[in-house]
Amino acid sequence: MTRDELRIGVYVCNCGTNIAKVVDCEAVVEMAARLPGVVVTRSYKYMCSTPGQEMIVQDIKDQRLNRVVVAACSPRMHERTFRKALQTAGLNQYFFEMANIREQCSWVHDDSEAATRKAQALTRGAVYRVAFHEPLDKLYVDMCPSTLVIGGGIAGLTAALELAEAGYPVHLVEKTERLGGNLARVDLTAPFLDPAADLLTDRITRVHENRAIKVYLASELKELSGYVGNFEAVIGPAGEGSPGAAPSCTVSVGSIVVCTGYTEFDASRITHYGYGRLPNVITSFEFEAMLRAGRIATREGRTPQYFAIVHCVGSRSREYHGYCSRVCCMTALKYAHEIKSAIPGAYVSDVYVDMHAFGKGHEEFYRQSSEAKTLFLMYDKNEHPLIKRAGPHDDCEMLIEVNEKLSGEVIEIPADMVILMVGMEARPDAAHVAHLVNISQDKEGWFIESHPKLDPVATTTEGVYIAGTCAAPKDIPDTVAQARAAAARILARIAREKIEIDAVFAEVDEEACSGCRTCVELCPYSAIEFDEGRRRSRVNSALCKACGACAAACPSGVIKARHFTDRQILAQIEGILA
Amino acid sequence: MSFEPKIVAFLCNWCSYTGADLAGTSRMHYPPNVVSIRVNCSGRVSPLMVMSALSKGADAVLISGCHIGDCHYVTGNWQTEKRVPLLKKGLEALGVDPRRVRLEWVSASEGARFVEVVQDFIAEIERLGPNPIKGASHDRRAACSL
Repeated sequence: MTRDELRIGVYVCNCGTNIAKVVDCEAVVEMAARLPGVVVTRSYKYMCSTPGQEMIVQDIKDQRLNRVVVAACSPRMHERTFRKALQTAGLNQYFFEMANIREQCSWVHDDSEAATRKAQALTRGAVYRVAFHEPLDKLYVDMCPSTLVIGGGIAGLTAALELAEAGYPVHLVEKTERLGGNLARVDLTAPFLDPAADLLTDRITRVHENRAIKVYLASELKELSGYVGNFEAVIGPAGEGSPGAAPSCTVSVGSIVVCTGYTEFDASRITHYGYGRLPNVITSFEFEAMLRAGRIATREGRTPQYFAIVHCVGSRSREYHGYCSRVCCMTALKYAHEIKSAIPGAYVSDVYVDMHAFGKGHEEFYRQSSEAKTLFLMYDKNEHPLIKRAGPHDDCEMLIEVNEKLSGEVIEIPADMVILMVGMEARPDAAHVAHLVNISQDKEGWFIESHPKLDPVATTTEGVYIAGTCAAPKDIPDTVAQARAAAARILARIAREKIEIDAVFAEVDEEACSGCRTCVELCPYSAIEFDEGRRRSRVNSALCKACGACAAACPSGVIKARHFTDRQILAQIEGILA
Repeated sequence: MSFEPKIVAFLCNWCSYTGADLAGTSRMHYPPNVVSIRVNCSGRVSPLMVMSALSKGADAVLISGCHIGDCHYVTGNWQTEKRVPLLKKGLEALGVDPRRVRLEWVSASEGARFVEVVQDFIAEIERLGPNPIKGASHDRRAACSL
């Protein structure tokens, strides 16, 4: 196709104001309209919306477009969406190119003029490139119906059961010696006060009994290779491994659900609450262990009379974590309830910043606690309560000074036991896990979802899903919902049996090949065969994964990496620098 | 007018491009002098592409891929690691400062590292000044004066 026959449509997305507040989208449109081959240019609020996509479909039909460029978010976000629109309009999906003017432009630059110039360069690069795009056939590979679930807490157990009960094999890998995760350390759950053990035991039993689930205890993922539908995972003993541990094994899986959970905030990082120094200042998890053991006692073995519960320890603070850990408020109310049932006549003070009671039954539970005579004291998060040892004449262990926000008075309350509501924190090994499965972490260490609102369990790596508290603090219902959502996404993929992958692989122009075999040596997949008779190289497209290393190395320049051809990339370079 | 370097960055789809996207989703900031081109693997970047960028107006070229051992294509970045030093030698022979081509490993989770790499590289190219061969192949007068 010569340039004269090109009919390119260029669409510049405002992304609400995400792009438009920094990039002058109209200036990008004006620039694009003057480029060779461009016949339609538009800017629109949300190109990925249904009207946005319909606009492209309609233009392809009415204006006989044969190439489409969308300047919007990252292709990792919406390339698939727009390719589908091309298909709907009957145009080969590879006649499409995206210019990333959001993640790599409007979100990282604040100089509007310079950002607009960069957005123009990116768009021009895409227009120049798309001119050389070629139609490619769809390529399908088998979807392996097995799934790897990493983490045996409530999220992992739920995802594993959901998949296995639909009839598909699951490899469930748990780092510790037992299933249950952090939930196994909890006594009753808030706000309905069901025992955590009831929630867990049923699931753990079902997991162990289900023959489709293979459980690997004291194990971890060691290596992962492959891609969606066709991963190879090496599972081995956790850490350095113990002498009795099972040897490493390799399993084939089509999908992965990461459910690695959280760790609790280390209260000793905050010195002013005296944790580690005052014997009866304990963390919520230490108190939980007492509840599970059925005996609430001070270190000295006495039954405490005065309890103080301090909220937001490590959470919602400038020094530690800015986020809310979401479960501590209700857990604190649950403690007040459990203390009063176990020790009638005990006094409970609840020292909080704000009471976050957002979930089903939470507000009602808060009201019940207020009516049950728990003393609620509000403190300003910049003015934390002070805990000190009581004097010999006080009939309590400690005194807590709270600058009570609502009354505006400084109030001193007695305490024999102080419970610090420690928040959730990303696990220290989260970076290692992210690295193994190639997903991203935010600045707090939580795994990042593909889209925070619309795609909360997928990640930017296809076939890898996240569920539960490894993505951010959340309570049990949200965790379970995510685990089931991840399983549903995987089941939908399995049901289609095949998955479409990019029809990109390398091809050797056998006529021009000089037979030097440079490519044969460097192919990581041994996908290039050498025909001894004809003294030519040939690519086995079933084995080729399209890295393009051969194309870059071919001294004769006769290996074509489809959809990443020299011509396409050189045109893009020219466009960017024009 | 002060010198605003133009840098073309070849980023591999699996690690560095995702890392650059992460810098965006995390709303980190860096100067707009770098424009990226997505390739499947850093191993796809041929000397031809780098030379083309330098001759068509780029002051520098960044090549970035997965860390060694993490390549999505197993050994693709090994090829890059072998190729870039050779390319730099070739550039030196042509009278181009080899510091104008930089190879860096940035993973999908290293948005902050991507920003650091870019800032550092821009600062270095600002010190080096404009690329002398920029536009040379198209500039007849320059060719005649040789």
